[in-house]
Amino acid sequence: MTRLMRTSKLAKLPVVTMGGEDVAQIKDVVYAAGGGQVGGFTLAGRGLFAGPLKQALAWTSVASLGADAVMITDEGALESTGAVLDRSASSGGSGGNVLGSQVLTDAGVDLGKVVDVIIEVSQGGEGQCDVVGYEIEASEALGSSGTDVLIPLPDTISVSGEHLIVPASAKDFVGHDLAGFGAAVEQFRAQLKADR
Amino acid sequence: MTWWVWLIVIVVVVLLLVGAVLAIQARRRRGGVIVDPAGSPRTKGGGDR
Repeated sequence: MTRLMRTSKLAKLPVVTMGGEDVAQIKDVVYAAGGGQVGGFTLAGRGLFAGPLKQALAWTSVASLGADAVMITDEGALESTGAVLDRSASSGGSGGNVLGSQVLTDAGVDLGKVVDVIIEVSQGGEGQCDVVGYEIEASEALGSSGTDVLIPLPDTISVSGEHLIVPASAKDFVGHDLAGFGAAVEQFRAQLKADR
Repeated sequence: MTWWVWLIVIVVVVLLLVGAVLAIQARRRRGGVIVDPAGSPRTKGGGDR
């Protein structure tokens, strides 16, 4: 079973052990090395005055990601933030936050700025957390300047802290809400494969 | 100055301090979507094409 989510919905989700202990909350979502998937999360402490933690959560240690909490087996699932970030460090981008980055097509057209990232969470077995799209504040090139729209991404994506490059054909699969966006992603990726 | 002026000044200063602390905390805890956190070379092979 798969589910589409905005990463903004993950921020501040509590990280809860199977024993019911509330150990942290999600701070940042970290791309996996190679792009296209979520590699893990940095964490903040619970409570108003708690800051970022020195521990992070790798995606492989997540038992389940629900609408209201991230479940882990126990506190042993957490590891040092450095270890999680190091494993995500070979993706070749310039580093930084994707939110606010400019989205360009490979034809050099500005599509807008990223306001959110769409992920597809598959539960059970070897569950994955794929990055399948961006929610962007559309530029005039999309004909709906200023509105937020969803654009699908290829399996492997070009990412950096400033510019995100997508195939020009992504413009043809723009969606306006998560319902039906999964199908748009599949069609977009199938078209890319057919064009190769 | 009369005592109530001092009281107002103290209340305002305390409110400003609390606001500043909360703003700093909100900034420290604000999340994002991080790419290549170690900041290795700039471009990456593009797309599933």
